[in-house]
Amino acid sequence: MAKGRQRMFWRDKYRLGVPVIDAQHQELFQRVNDFMQTVRAGVPWEDKVQRVNETLEFMKGYVVAHFRDEEAYQRQIGYPGYEAHLQKHRDMVEYVASISKEYEKKGFDEQLMQQFAGRLLAWLINHVAAEDQRIAAYAIQKGVQSHGI
Amino acid sequence: MAYDLYAPFVEATRSVFRLMLDLRDVSDRPAESFVRGDSLSIAIGMTGDLTGEVIYLFPSVTSLRMVSVMSGMEVVSVDAFVTSAVAEIANIISGNVLALLSVDSLECDILPPELREADDSVPYALHAAKCLDTALGDMCLDIRLNPAK
Repeated sequence: MAKGRQRMFWRDKYRLGVPVIDAQHQELFQRVNDFMQTVRAGVPWEDKVQRVNETLEFMKGYVVAHFRDEEAYQRQIGYPGYEAHLQKHRDMVEYVASISKEYEKKGFDEQLMQQFAGRLLAWLINHVAAEDQRIAAYAIQKGVQSHGI
Repeated sequence: MAYDLYAPFVEATRSVFRLMLDLRDVSDRPAESFVRGDSLSIAIGMTGDLTGEVIYLFPSVTSLRMVSVMSGMEVVSVDAFVTSAVAEIANIISGNVLALLSVDSLECDILPPELREADDSVPYALHAAKCLDTALGDMCLDIRLNPAK
């Protein structure tokens, strides 16, 4: 288990140079971080499950909102990789919905949330450090990065 | 089939390690020198023009260090959180391999990661194994594929 240091896993290198997306990414990382820290806190599951469920719902809501806004931004700037990126978002939203359903069905199983937190961590870092960089590179190349969402 | 099977895998691994873990120096060495110990064994099935599986072996020390770097938390045991995060890294590497294979007109797809050993009951025409050394520890790739045609 983690020893509870409340460190944020956001890195400045994840910044894309597109202010509207960067601000949302930092908020997204914060919410995932809160969820992850809660899941990993060194206290018995029954003592933290309510807080886990609260941060899970809070984080899920923002994932969907951020994806929607980021997709709107891609359409605004005419990003050519929009359809492929949209599919990655849809796959993740589907995975989150499916895990949430299973989690409730299993009566708030800890192992399932530990697995979910681990996959979400790696997925989010790769998505922002690799996939989203392509959107930023296109926006900067086209000189459209300051468009608002 | 004269195809450098290992090249796309090592290129994808280097790229993912650099983006997600800031690992810039990744060197390879023969698999025979790999000390397997208590490594996580993650299998990714492959379908399409190449069928079979790729086994990613991550020693516990490497796994813990990788997840610590990503999460910003101290992790001290290979539990469901760590296993899931490392499995997602293997999944991401494999996804990047698909893009590299398609450049060589090899159209493949991957199956979700499984925590299991290699399937030694199947003969493979293409079999390559190598280890990679990084600042966070080593890991091994065991590639076992058959051309579909």
